[in-house]
Amino acid sequence: MSTEMLAMILAGGQGSRLGKLTKSTAKPAVPFGGRYRIIDFALSNCFNSGVNTVGVVTQYQPLELNAHIQNGASWGLDEKNAGVTVLQPFASREGEKWFQGTAHAIYQNIDYIDLYQPKYILILSGDHIYKMDYEAMFNYHKAKKAALTVGVLPVSMEEATRFGIMNTDETERIIEFEEKPKKPKSNLASMGIYIFNWPTLKKYLVDSYSTDGKMEDFGKDVIPAYLSHNEPTYAYAFHGYWKDVGTIQSLWQANMEFLEPNNELNIGDREWRIYSKNDALPPMYVTKSAKVNNSMVVDGCYVAGDIEHTILSQNVKVGTGTVIKDSMVMPNAVIGKDVTIDHAIIGERAIIGDGASVIGTEDDIAVVGFQEVLGKEVEDE
Amino acid sequence: MRQNNVSAIIDLNEPSDALLPLTQFRPVGTLPFAGRYRLIDFPLSAISNAGIRDVGMFMPRSARSVQDHVRSGDAWNLDSIRGGIFTFPYVANKDYSDPANRRRYFDDYLTFLRKSDSSYTIVIGARNVDNINVQEVQQFHVEGNNPITVLYKRQLPDKVNANEEALNISDAGDVTTIMKASEITPDPVNHMVPMHMGVYFLRTSLLIDLLQNASQREEFIRLPEILHEALEVYNANGYEYTGFYANINTIKRYFDANMAMLDEANYQALLFSQREIYTKNLNEIPTFFSKGSDVNTSLLGTGCRIEGQANHSVIFRRVIIDRSAKVENSIIMQGSKIGPGSKLNYVILDKGVVIGPHLTIEGTPEKPIIFEKNMSVLRASDIKKGVQH
Repeated sequence: MSTEMLAMILAGGQGSRLGKLTKSTAKPAVPFGGRYRIIDFALSNCFNSGVNTVGVVTQYQPLELNAHIQNGASWGLDEKNAGVTVLQPFASREGEKWFQGTAHAIYQNIDYIDLYQPKYILILSGDHIYKMDYEAMFNYHKAKKAALTVGVLPVSMEEATRFGIMNTDETERIIEFEEKPKKPKSNLASMGIYIFNWPTLKKYLVDSYSTDGKMEDFGKDVIPAYLSHNEPTYAYAFHGYWKDVGTIQSLWQANMEFLEPNNELNIGDREWRIYSKNDALPPMYVTKSAKVNNSMVVDGCYVAGDIEHTILSQNVKVGTGTVIKDSMVMPNAVIGKDVTIDHAIIGERAIIGDGASVIGTEDDIAVVGFQEVLGKEVEDE
Repeated sequence: MRQNNVSAIIDLNEPSDALLPLTQFRPVGTLPFAGRYRLIDFPLSAISNAGIRDVGMFMPRSARSVQDHVRSGDAWNLDSIRGGIFTFPYVANKDYSDPANRRRYFDDYLTFLRKSDSSYTIVIGARNVDNINVQEVQQFHVEGNNPITVLYKRQLPDKVNANEEALNISDAGDVTTIMKASEITPDPVNHMVPMHMGVYFLRTSLLIDLLQNASQREEFIRLPEILHEALEVYNANGYEYTGFYANINTIKRYFDANMAMLDEANYQALLFSQREIYTKNLNEIPTFFSKGSDVNTSLLGTGCRIEGQANHSVIFRRVIIDRSAKVENSIIMQGSKIGPGSKLNYVILDKGVVIGPHLTIEGTPEKPIIFEKNMSVLRASDIKKGVQH
């Protein structure tokens, strides 16, 4: 078995800043845009880019993620001698292999990676919303004869203070890496996307863990080590929609942007489709009393209320007299009659009783958690 | 229970002329239904929900749409390592005076049935909209006195066509003959007629015998006629099916059955039942309802863009209803586009039909106007391309 470039998606993050939404699920499994989960973007990008071997590194609450990914068939990643493998921490003779950081997670999965003997390894994060052709970045990496290529996003100078910033020379070679610089010298923000020559990275990791074990994190440890050892490290600039949905606010914002008909993400582009695992549900039913405007609705939904600038995910029920505005409702939520929801995210399988209110503001989005029950029981329609 | 206790035969060769032009390039079994299904989803789901894993599909003349929809059968859990879907090519219009063709017809059925090693077989078509509990039918059959069980649905005589097949049920409850609906006296209490659903349940060994005997005969006789004959020879147990039912054998039926799904009770009963209806799963984006859109009492698939109005209509995937367009009492199949300001009432658009701007197309509840697949209706003079039965 061999594959030229293998992808590792880091999906172990707890996403603690998503609060109640990730109490019992990993951030990459958080629903997005009505029919998707966040990790669908990275998985679909892999398939669309011709990367057919993908390891998904999980750690925190992986149940839902496992159920979602299964054998990878939903993303076309179920080829023979390739495909998706969900990687969990495990115990071995050297002890338990919990992951201390992004680079450590790769170190702990060296055996998996070596099964495929890749020349290159693509490191991805499972919690970004974007469409990216990794093959183009891979071609760049090979053309530059790089040991490491870092995917970077040009941001505004004000935003640059919030990111890890790559300072480059005129050949796009990275000469300096600064984490959240007060006075940024460049606007190239690291996207947490890396292509490494695998034998080199493996050597760095193995050497480190046989001595001081300092190679825990790609940003903090590995990139600085590569720079100090003069490994050819280049910045590949990505142009297009990219959103880190690590907070309630940014998750809500990204969903609202998703609603815009001319959104830069262009979800309707059939040349670069985003795939997901979905159950085959009945068509959506919009009743006589419903009013749906400037909104997205998907299959399995039953809508009897007034929906304005809102995303309803699969199998959501909305009773009569209910008004939902500027909100995102996650799959299988049941919303009763005469409910008011404004500027909110309603978690999966939440139940909102008749007459209840969930009101947030643009700066303080209200959240109802996974399986949370609010108000009194919902009457059967 | 052993998984291969029951096998299923789905015969997709069903009369379809009364459904033209919708059945010009597809069998009745792959007619789109209720915004996201194909009719064959109903028998396949019933089979799947009963844990049946051996399915013989006897293909129609135009098999492409069936292959494309069913694929490996994974949507119905029919791609397991044991059993699965076995397809048999179209043979119905071969010249059966040729003994080689005749042998082939029977061999296909016999090979499938012998290989399935099943105790029982259900023979079912693909033109019914229903949700049959096959395990219950099996139980009923085992407890019955007759070697064959046949399914029926009681309907009011004014809901059926005089020529449709109904069952003659004796006082003892045995089905003795199949007759025209008009020849059956309605039940004095509920005034209904037991309509033949074309679904049979019997021992596989008996079905093998029947097919073998038929293969020895001078004249050629097909499976539906073999079963019809056997029912009259042996008598049958009549299993009454009580759920939602529509026998899609005319355009009017097709239209009415789709419209019936807009009645919330029917939608819930058929599509949200304990026995789920499965269909091929597709990756489609959400449906977008723009500002100013106005949708009421309608079913919609995903991937649509609705800017205008939709009222009391069934709208499939990836349909575009442009601004100030209005669709009422209509069936709009996948990928059709309705131009700005156009008004449709009692219309059926097959897949990929394009309706230009500012056109008014009006059918009637009895005779909806049908536009064939991929047709362009760009100006008023094109409207006459529509078919009305």
